[in-house]
Amino acid sequence: MPKTSNGIEIEGIVTECLRNANFTVELQNGHKVLAHISGKIRKNYIKILPQDRVLVELSPYDLTRGRILYRYRT
Amino acid sequence: MNPSPFSASSTGTGSRPVTITRAGESQWLAHDDGFELGRGDVSRRPDGRLFVSIDSWQVEVFDRLAAAMLAELPRPLHAVVHEADPDTKAAWERAGFTVARREAEYALPTDPRVTGLDAVLPPSDVRVVPLGRAQEGPLRTLDQAVRAEVEAGLGWAAMPAEVLPRPEGVTVVDPSRYAVAEADGRYVGLVRVVPRRRQARIGLVAVLAAYQRRGIARALLADVLGALHRSGVEVAGAEVDESNSPALRLFQSLGAQRRSGLLELVRS
Repeated sequence: MPKTSNGIEIEGIVTECLRNANFTVELQNGHKVLAHISGKIRKNYIKILPQDRVLVELSPYDLTRGRILYRYRT
Repeated sequence: MNPSPFSASSTGTGSRPVTITRAGESQWLAHDDGFELGRGDVSRRPDGRLFVSIDSWQVEVFDRLAAAMLAELPRPLHAVVHEADPDTKAAWERAGFTVARREAEYALPTDPRVTGLDAVLPPSDVRVVPLGRAQEGPLRTLDQAVRAEVEAGLGWAAMPAEVLPRPEGVTVVDPSRYAVAEADGRYVGLVRVVPRRRQARIGLVAVLAAYQRRGIARALLADVLGALHRSGVEVAGAEVDESNSPALRLFQSLGAQRRSGLLELVRS
């Protein structure tokens, strides 16, 4: 039984908050992805702002899209 | 811990069998031969309510995870979605959830010339203790009194809150984050500020019922927003339940701009 995600997880910096509940995140490798907030973060009302350092899980179906799994403390 | 297989046929997966497994007290996993396709999570808020979340790239996996979780969890269950995320909202509605409350996120300017708070003073018998100077003991007493009043009225469940891990029973984590109003020898109102580097948040504004409608909350906000402005913070965020008309009027009178909103869903 899998214990953790098999997706690609990578750190990035939120560069833009978009109106449709999505964010632009610049990854460590320089790529930019469109990311939404994971249900677990949303459930805990954790706010994401530009310049936040976050952990993103990339979609296995579209590597330009991702899901923000964690917001690091600043 | 009873795996239940089904077939997922959404984009990108073909028609492979998917198994749902409860991976612990609080987590469900959807997987295909060791490849995780989605996960569900449940956690209990300090107020006792159960909140669920599901993350999956596929609609069918979401629905199966929801069905598995609902079959094992007691009701009522709650979920939170962004108002601009119709897909996730629709997914929870398919699982029988309905909208229970709406919460607006506001951006509050801190500049007194914009808020009009530069000339605001507390009532003559009230003293504002500035941000970071409240005494811990009386502050905790006020916090408990405020929470008791909320529970006896509106109910704390209707209060927006960022839910972070903290010791049970502890509600005042950092007294330096509060400004308070003092009257009749005790604290009667408070504002909690989360001073994040780029944008502060107003976490809580509360005045004891016997002291409301006297401009104390406005005076507290004048102190706090003024202090933030002097420290270089231009905007503070705040969340308000959209049924809380007095709070909405207060923020809107200060020039607050609505940025977005959250929906809290419930499955009875």
